Amino acid sequence: MDDVSPFRPAADGGPHDAHPARAPRRAPGRAPAGPGPAARRTRGPAAVAALGLAGALAAACGGSGHAGGDAAGLTYASAGLVNCLDPQASASRLISIIDRNLFDSLVATGPDGRIQPWLATKWEVSPDGKAYTFHLRSGVTFHDGTPLDAAAVKATMDHAVDPKTKSVYASSLLGPYTGTKVVDASTVRIGLSKPYAPLLQSLSTPYLGIQSPKALRASCTKPVGSGPFSFVSWTQNTSIVLKRNPSYAWQQATAKHTGPAKLAQLTFRLVPEDGARYGALTSGQADLIDDVPTANVKALKSASGLRFLQKDIPGTVENITFNASRPPLSDVKVRQALQRAVNVDQLVKSVFTGVYARAWSVLSPATPGYTASLRNSIPYDPAAAAKLLDEAGWTGRDSAGYRTKDGKRLSVRWPVGAQLIRPSENILAQGVQAEAKKAGIEIQYVSEDSGAFVRDVLAGNLDLYINNWRALNPDILRNMYASDRVPSVGGSNMFHLKDPQLDGWLNSAAASEDAAARQKAYADAQTRIVQQGLSLPLFVPSELLGVSGKVQNLNFDASLYLQFYDVSLGKA
Amino acid sequence: MKQDPGAEPDAPPSGAPRGGGRAALARWVARRLLLAAVVVLGAATVTFGALRLAPGDPVKVMVGLSAAQNPEIVAQARHETGFDRPLAVQYADFLGDLARGDLGWSYQLQESVPAVIADNLWPTVSLTLTGFALALLVAVPLAVATAGRRPAWRALSSLLELVTVSIPGFWVGLLLLTFFSFRLHVFPATGGTGLSGLVLPAITLALGLVGLFTQILRDGMARALDQPFALSARARGTGETAVRLRHALRHALIAISTISGWTVGALLTGAVVVETVFGRPGLGRVLATAIQNRDFPVVTGITIVSGALFTLITLGVDLLYRVVDPRLREAPA
Repeated sequence: MDDVSPFRPAADGGPHDAHPARAPRRAPGRAPAGPGPAARRTRGPAAVAALGLAGALAAACGGSGHAGGDAAGLTYASAGLVNCLDPQASASRLISIIDRNLFDSLVATGPDGRIQPWLATKWEVSPDGKAYTFHLRSGVTFHDGTPLDAAAVKATMDHAVDPKTKSVYASSLLGPYTGTKVVDASTVRIGLSKPYAPLLQSLSTPYLGIQSPKALRASCTKPVGSGPFSFVSWTQNTSIVLKRNPSYAWQQATAKHTGPAKLAQLTFRLVPEDGARYGALTSGQADLIDDVPTANVKALKSASGLRFLQKDIPGTVENITFNASRPPLSDVKVRQALQRAVNVDQLVKSVFTGVYARAWSVLSPATPGYTASLRNSIPYDPAAAAKLLDEAGWTGRDSAGYRTKDGKRLSVRWPVGAQLIRPSENILAQGVQAEAKKAGIEIQYVSEDSGAFVRDVLAGNLDLYINNWRALNPDILRNMYASDRVPSVGGSNMFHLKDPQLDGWLNSAAASEDAAARQKAYADAQTRIVQQGLSLPLFVPSELLGVSGKVQNLNFDASLYLQFYDVSLGKA
Repeated sequence: MKQDPGAEPDAPPSGAPRGGGRAALARWVARRLLLAAVVVLGAATVTFGALRLAPGDPVKVMVGLSAAQNPEIVAQARHETGFDRPLAVQYADFLGDLARGDLGWSYQLQESVPAVIADNLWPTVSLTLTGFALALLVAVPLAVATAGRRPAWRALSSLLELVTVSIPGFWVGLLLLTFFSFRLHVFPATGGTGLSGLVLPAITLALGLVGLFTQILRDGMARALDQPFALSARARGTGETAVRLRHALRHALIAISTISGWTVGALLTGAVVVETVFGRPGLGRVLATAIQNRDFPVVTGITIVSGALFTLITLGVDLLYRVVDPRLREAPA
């Protein structure tokens, strides 16, 4: 349900990132009808009518349903939504996957987590850790012919932090960023106000992919980068088409080949309907689908000519964050009781037909710094929950069977954005509600229109909040739990938690280069988050992909985004 | 429907405007067009008001929850969208833009609203027209065959109609996809904008209307067949089928045209589901997303365009009445 997470750093993604309320790019209120976008898809009725027959013929030929499978390219049917392709503005999972093909980054993160050269051939970090100097590769050009130089890098970084960009994630990735300086045409320096260890990894993500400075203004709808594929067309709510960049020669060091990509074309089809997406794969109309409906996983595993791929997503797991800043959850015993009152194992298994694993820590096992020691630390234990509630003074019972204290019912509020929650997650949430009721805790699970939901979240008028965040770095914990990472400064500590111990571990880990010390600090932080009842981890979100047997060399990058540069189509 | 008022008998009875049928018709059409403009303006105003009454701060919904926490971004967006101005000024700006034909700029899609509508209008119009035509194509023979006779056939037809009206559109769509696209590979599953991509979505949409149309047509025909004119036609030796087709059907079609305005609305709603299941572009889906995201210019733009379409269709239907029922030709607008 990463969808519900208002603060999910776009990196987010999760199984499903159709966040409808995603930030728009720059919104020129009275902006002129940009020539770019208007020209992009001028498809008047007449033109379409004229093309109708041709389209019908084409469809009929591709038709026997194998439109996606020929040598021309690969078709990826996704459950996601796309509203802006500017990587510095948007943050959803699908947009990142698309953008990775269009934009290259200064550096790359290898599968082992080590940083490797990419558009920057080498770099130096100043002794005080506050200045990063990058030497750019020569001979790189953007799709519009503009050469890559220091000014282009600076323009991209300035664009990321410009309030007009309304960046929801990219700007936060830059940490204590102070600015970018052009040293000479092929040298650029990024300045920080204090050391920030995650910077290089941040720069390797698609969110900080380098854009052609000429195209920045229109990059929402006409993205121009230097990547292995270039943008061709976008039909709203329907498809996005990219084609091979024939002059590409600056692939990542981990790539399996050199030169242009192997696929001539890459088509992203937006298919929100589970059944239609799954059917498109089984009938050969798509070569790859995401968000395989969990009910279809078993069938997919045994289907011939198809593969099922499941990869745990790094970052935070799908979890319910507890609002410890107001009663009744300000009492640690009530929080701990709620953790034990819910049979998470059983719920996750039955709702997702055993596809997702139950989570024990707020970090996903795929995240560096994950600690496995929390396993079974908060088992389903109604007796322990009852005892904790007794100790907390909630000893009375009202006519509906809920616990009371001083005549007040033990009740918590859980609003969700109706448009943002998937049906399966809705069922899971109702399961949690039913289990809590057995323990005498009322959960007011209410489905709200996006306006009311945003208002509740901003006003802090909620006790439970469900979300997950895709992030390669355990520093995501700092963004969620450090006392200075409140939403008004771009952080995600939405309940304004102030825990000096967590602050100490998380802040020192972010500034430290000592791997062992970082590991220890993150393990301590995860343990405290669970033991203090700040969160109830539910399940480990994973990529659930259905892949045609024809698709070869499909890989994930370090953040588990799909890589299409090496992919080719063979025989099924 | 071709209309040739000049060819009609020119016999204005008492109370009818002088000047002949042609001039009367022109005046009638002019008045109706003026009325249509008022209706469109009213729809736009109601939409403008309703969107501002919806819960929550529209700018915060628009920028998304993450960005809504950043005062700088919110202030920037509020200024760009004009929401920092008084409501009266916003409304005046809105009317001024409308008068100049400027439908505005979509915050979410980063595109001018006319371009958004141009991209999505034809897929929806072609879908709804095809769906409407298919529904009539099935409903007319069904009604003609079953009206007023053979109770068993009528019962069977009624059952079918009930089923088609009751099944949710997305389920019909998935069933059609499963057989014709996934299994038989006859039609593409998603994203089709050509003819072959239109077939399954149009059938899905049509099935929801067939039952309704058949029932209305059959009721109308049954009533018409009991009228004296049917009896006199039969008395003149006209065959039963001819009586049904030439006389009764004509009466029943009036009822269908009466609900055609309603049908346009229903089709636009149904299009949201169909467009989602089949991954089609279209106004229905764009409108649904725009409402969720408080993308006001897109919502008002689509309201204005569909309002204009709606009033034009109603106007066309009323013209049609005058063709079907000569008595109305003399009636004032």
